[in-house]
Order: sequence, then structure tokens, then C-alpha cells
Amino acid sequence: MSDWNALSDEDFRKEVRAFFENEFPEEYKFLPRRMRWHECRDWYLKLSKKGWIAPNWPREHGGMGLTPAKLLIYYEETERAGVGRMPDQGLTMVGPTLIRFGNDAQRAYFLPKIIAGEAIWCQGYSEPNAGSDLASLRTEAVPDGDDYVINGSKIWTSMAHDATHIYVLARTDKAAKKKQEGISFFLVDMKTPGITLRTIRNIAGHEEFCQVFFDNVRTPKHNLVGELHKGWTIAKGLLGFERLNIGSPRRPLQAMEKLETLAQARGLMADPAFVERLTQLQLDLADLGSLYRRYVDKVRRGEALGPDVSMLKVWSMDTYQRLSELLIEAAGEYGAVEGEVAIGGENVDVLSPFYNSRPGTIYGGSNEIQRNILAKYVLNLPS
Amino acid sequence: MNEHGMDHGALLAQSVGDFVQHGADLPRVRALAQGRAEFDAAQWRQLAELGWLGVLVPESCGGLGLGLAEAAIVAEGLGRALTPEPYTAVAVLAARTLEGAAASPLREELLAGLAAGSRLPVLAWQEQPDDFGGLQLATTAMPFEGGFRVSGEKSFVVGAAAADGYVVSALAGGELQLLWIPRDAGGCSTAAQPLADGRSYGRLALRDVVVPREHLLASGAAARAALDRALDHAATVTAAELCGVMKRAHEMSLDYMKTRVQFGKPIGSFQALQHRAVDLHIQQELADAVLREVVAELDAGPDPAARARAASRAKSRCAEAALAITRAAIQFHGAIGFTEDCDVGLYAKRAMTLSAWLGNGRAHRARYARLSAPAAREAA
Ligand SMILES: Cc1cc2nc3c(=O)[nH]c(=O)nc-3n(C[C@H](O)[C@H](O)[C@H](O)COP(=O)(O)OP(=O)(O)OC[C@H]3O[C@@H](n4cnc5c(N)ncnc54)[C@H](O)[C@@H]3O)c2cc1C
Repeated sequence: MSDWNALSDEDFRKEVRAFFENEFPEEYKFLPRRMRWHECRDWYLKLSKKGWIAPNWPREHGGMGLTPAKLLIYYEETERAGVGRMPDQGLTMVGPTLIRFGNDAQRAYFLPKIIAGEAIWCQGYSEPNAGSDLASLRTEAVPDGDDYVINGSKIWTSMAHDATHIYVLARTDKAAKKKQEGISFFLVDMKTPGITLRTIRNIAGHEEFCQVFFDNVRTPKHNLVGELHKGWTIAKGLLGFERLNIGSPRRPLQAMEKLETLAQARGLMADPAFVERLTQLQLDLADLGSLYRRYVDKVRRGEALGPDVSMLKVWSMDTYQRLSELLIEAAGEYGAVEGEVAIGGENVDVLSPFYNSRPGTIYGGSNEIQRNILAKYVLNLPS
Repeated sequence: MNEHGMDHGALLAQSVGDFVQHGADLPRVRALAQGRAEFDAAQWRQLAELGWLGVLVPESCGGLGLGLAEAAIVAEGLGRALTPEPYTAVAVLAARTLEGAAASPLREELLAGLAAGSRLPVLAWQEQPDDFGGLQLATTAMPFEGGFRVSGEKSFVVGAAAADGYVVSALAGGELQLLWIPRDAGGCSTAAQPLADGRSYGRLALRDVVVPREHLLASGAAARAALDRALDHAATVTAAELCGVMKRAHEMSLDYMKTRVQFGKPIGSFQALQHRAVDLHIQQELADAVLREVVAELDAGPDPAARARAASRAKSRCAEAALAITRAAIQFHGAIGFTEDCDVGLYAKRAMTLSAWLGNGRAHRARYARLSAPAAREAA
């Protein structure tokens, strides 16, 4: 395998750009929603074969081991070419977690399956009555012989209907003094008897998530990650990765590309009031990049992400929403039109960034919760 | 790295911190409003002895020959302490301009003196507000056998209160010239325009000032290049100074929120204040992250267009963040924040003067937009 980090930034960018532009299927470019597995399977396998599926993983586990600067280039070019978002929980969440908290057997079994596209993961954290207050979750896992038996229900589980596996937080010790104690982290095969799904449509009408029901679902004991009752620590470690991932500039960048295209097409660059607001957002986005690289650097140096990474998520998603709102405003009457519209020779889907940017301030810990975390753990303000 | 695992940047930051000693300068800063001098010669000598005035001055001229990274660390530390002396105006703006001038005995003498603290040159390039590059230039330099006769007016000259002379921009036959004019040159008069934070802008009136040919520092494209680079570098180091101002001001707010009790609880326990403090902290960290990247980018010597964009990015973010943080600090402190005795007011006013100088947030956003326009991007 090549050492991508040895290439100059420009050469690396050229190579990535050419590949994404030429190889990513035309019909899925700039899809206004997440890709379903049947739509992106071929692309996933193509990337996998090329050794490009896990740009953020270390090379020893089949990743590209990119430096922060190169990783950012990779993501920028993904957005530029309009490469859709795949069911990527295995790549962004499970892989990094197993690398950090798993054991050798779990790494040896699951990591290659993720790289090969044989294991597609979803996240079973939230429950109907445990959202922001996740630690109040009630799904239970009870040991029985070589297995744990899981009962309960998870909700808002993204792409569960495409997943082969789910990682689950379940209560293993109801007598624990604090609600954060006595929670464990399990890996579960979705084909296990007792799992049923109900799909849920999102605000844009897409089947994006599910409620997952667990009725006496057995998962073998070796699928417990880390120590028993210590799942909260892992979940928190993973939240760091999730916040870094959500905090990446790549989704706001995509909205910015649309906004710039629309502004040119409509001649808005001659309107100083508009240019002032656009420039503010361009700077908000450029500066997000600076902050993002600071955290990616930390991860690359092997440092754990602390609670301060929350600020990246707050800023990234707030910026994304502001961008999506200016896009609608810039479209004038077209700002009410569903789907693609032809404006000044360009086809723009005005509303999809609006829809796509809404959940970013809700999931992964809502932005209000992130501000609570920052106030308490970073600014050390009293409660 | 030394044995404590600190790199030289951290060590430098520590020695700047030790030098300004927590809050020691504040009574001095407060006294400025009562008409005390904004320049303390003893303080300046110490800055020179520590080598900080010469951070950017080439070693051949007695300086340290380091980069903006180090200058930014010094400026951030001085910003935290609200040190009023014109560090950035002299040690960055004037030093970089002189560095970019053609080799001459005068250039070497001024640079060496600047680093040693014995000479205090400042740049007088601006005549109109919102003219960062000094392009609206009406000052003229009429050539004669022995040199030039310079006439015109300059505004917004930071450091003029203590300067012993000016690097003045002027047009001769449509060409930009940078000329050295000693403060006491015949026909040169300096008036002070008081600023919110007790410092002042100098306003220069130049009436037929005779400038000998040896005092010509640079002309034409070389003058333009030296000036533009110096301005971008000074705007960036001013952004660092603003970082110091905002960080200390926000610390003061957070300390107060932990101790001030209302409704039987510290006010910092109220979510409305917590979330506001967090949003400001995010602005502070964005400012810090941008500043570090821009400083590294500028030290790598990019092309002028990239340099200008980067500098504008740093100045606009740091200016706006410092204003937001220091203004909120007044609100977080309640009525006491509105008093003359409360230090947050000093920070708010310094944020105002540093934001306004060398282009405010809006001006740099507009400049960034101009430089980012498709035509400019292709040209770059
Ligand atoms: C598109 C999408 C995909 C998702 N995917 C997954 C997934 O794959 N797996 C999974 O496990 N979960 C997933 N989630 C769920 C997500 O993690 C939760 O929605 C989130 O934790 C918030 O919980 P909630 O929706 O119950 O809102 P609530 O917790 O009920 O919050 C409602 C409102 O109250 C505010 N609030 C709550 N507590 C406080 C407080 N203490 N201070 C201030 N404000 C507060 C919140 O910020 C929010 O605005 C997804 C959600 C969305 C929208």
C-alpha cells in the first residue's frame, strides 16, 4: 500500500479528486439524503479494494493513516465531488472504539469485516424516555450461560434497517448508586432472533431511522466491549469521536458550495448586503476548519479528546444551520420549492441543506447539552 | 523542548507572563485616562533588554531574527496585561517595513536602534479611515537635487506619542516612496488624538519637510511590497494582542460568575449565563485556532494574496471576538462592570482601540471578500 502522507498536499488532492470525480456513480452525486446500503454497496467495496475506505484509521488496521491535513483534503474532496454519506457508523465509531477499548479478538474479528463492508453498524443508545438524559436508559442485559439476554427498545436508530450489527448500551446493574454506573457496551448481530424494527420517516419524508425492539435477544459474552458495568466510559470516549465527526467542516462546506453557486447564478454578488453576510459565513467556515484541525491533530497524536471538543460540534452545526437558512433566503420565491430547481442555469436543491442541518443540533448530544458540558467541565461553572 | 517538556514558545509565553506580572500594569493603564504618559521609558528599555523589541529584527542588525510566531506570543502576553507601550507598532509594523527596505546605513541604524530600544521609529502611512493599505495617498514628495520636500497629513499613527521619527509614505511622480522623517524635522508637527483606552493616535502635519536623499528607504514596487507585508504582519500580531485581551477579560467574567451570589446561588449556575459564557468561549477558541494557523502560514512566506487573506481572517475574527467578550464582561459584572474602578472596562476599551486600528472586523471581512472573489482567486 502507498504511503499517502509522503505525497505533497497538491498531489494527494489531485489523486483523490480524480478518483472521486471519475469513479463515484454519477446518479448518486449530491444526493439530498443519506445513501441506502443497496445504493452505495458497490462504491463502498471499490473504496475498500483501493484501501481508501477508512481514511481515519491507522494503517495497521487497514486504514489510510492520513495526517490531519490529508484527512481534511480527503473530506473536502468527498464533498466537492458530491459523494454521498454511506452507513458509516462502523468506520467512524465502532472501528475507532474497538481500536481503543476492544480486545485483540474483537479487533481481529470485526475490523476486517468493517473494511470489507460485511458488517454495517448502527447505534443503539437513545430510548423513548432516555434522550438527552441518556444515562437514564432502561434497556437491560442479564447474564445467562455464555450469553447476555437483552430486553428493551432503542429509538432514532439511524439506518438500522440497513445494518447487520448494532452496538448497544444496556443496564447490567440496576443496584448501582449512580445511573452512569452499571451500564455496559454490547455488540449485537441484527439477525439475532428477538430483534424487530419499525422504520420512522424524518421531516423530509425519508426513512432515515428506526425503533428497534429487543425481546430476549441473546448476544455472546465475548461481545461485551471493555469491562462489565463500564460501558458509560466507552460511550463517552465514543462521543468524542462522534463530536469530532459531526464537527467536521465537510457538511457545512457542501452547503457553502450550493450557496456560492446560487449566489453567482442569481447575480447576488452585486448586492453588498448579501456579500457581507456571505463573507461572514465564509469566515465562520474557514475558522471552523482551523478549530477542527486542532482536534484532528490531537487524535492523531493519540491524545484523548476532552469535553472541550463539544465546542466544535456547537460551532459546526450552528454554522451549517445559518448557511442553510441564508441559502433559502438567497433563493427568494424558490426558497419554498421542494426538490431541485433550475435557477440561472444551475440546478440547486434549496431545501435539503435545511433539512440535513436540523438534526445536527439535536443528536450526538444536543447543542444545549454541549453548552451545559462546556459550562461545567471546561469553564468549571457551578451547578 | 527543554527538560520540563516545554517548547520554546511555551517558555517565551511564560517569561512574558512573568514580566508583565498579573495585573501589575493595570493601575498604570488606569492612570492614562488621567493624562499620564502612555509610554514608560523604563518599561521600554526592559522590553529591549529581554530582546523582544528585536524579535523580528535580523540578527545582522542586532535582533533575534525570529518569526511572527514569537512576536505573536509576546504581543498576546502584553495584551493580557494591557501594556500600553506600542510594541506592535514599533517591533512589528515599523520593523517589518524597515526590514523590507533597501540596504542602507540608515536602515541598519534604525533597525539596530529599534531592537536596542534607543530608536523609536513608527510608520505613518494612513490618511483616510478604512484604508488599510494606505492607497488613498495625498502626501507628496517633490524631488529636488538633495532629496524631497514632503507635504501632507497622516492620521491614526499609533506610537507617535513616543516616536523619535516616522517612516512616511508619499508619492513622487505617481510612485510610492517610503521616507524617514525625524520627529523634530522642520515643518513636521505631531498632534495627539486621545483614544478610549487613554492612548493616542498621532496626527502628523507635514509642511514642506526637507528630506535628504539618504533618508529614502524604498520606492516603487519595493516600497509597496515592504509596506503590504508589514501591514499584514502587524494586523496579525494585533490579532494576537486581542487574543490576550479577550482571554484575560473572559477569565475575569468566569471568576466573577463563580463568586457573585444572587438568589442564594452563584450567578454562574444560571443556564442563561452559562450558555452565553460558552458561546463566547467558543469565539475565543476559534480566534486562538485561527491565529495559530495564520501565524504559521505567514511565517512560511506565502504569496501576497494568500498572506492578505490569512491576515484578514485573523484580524476580523480576533477583533469581533474580543469586542463580544469584553462587552459581555460588562454585562456579567452588573453595575460594578459599569464603574471606572472595575478592570473589565479597561479591557473593553483596549479591545475597542485594537479592533479599530489596522482595519476593524468589518473592513477585514470586506477585504477578505474582495480577495476571495473568483477573479482574484484565479489570479492568485
Ligand atoms: C436524525 C437523527 C438521528 C439519530 N440517530 C441516532 C442513532 O443512530 N442512535 C441513537 O442512539 N440515537 C440517535 N438519535 C437520537 C439523539 O441522540 C437524540 O435525539 C438526542 O439525544 C436528544 O434526545 P431527545 O430527542 O429525546 O430530546 P430531549 O432530550 O427530549 O430534548 C428536547 C429539547 O430539550 C433540550 N434539553 C434537554 N435537556 C436539557 C438541559 N438539561 N438543558 C437545556 N436544554 C435541554 C434539548 O436540547 C432539546 O432541545 C438521532 C436523532 C436524530 C434527530
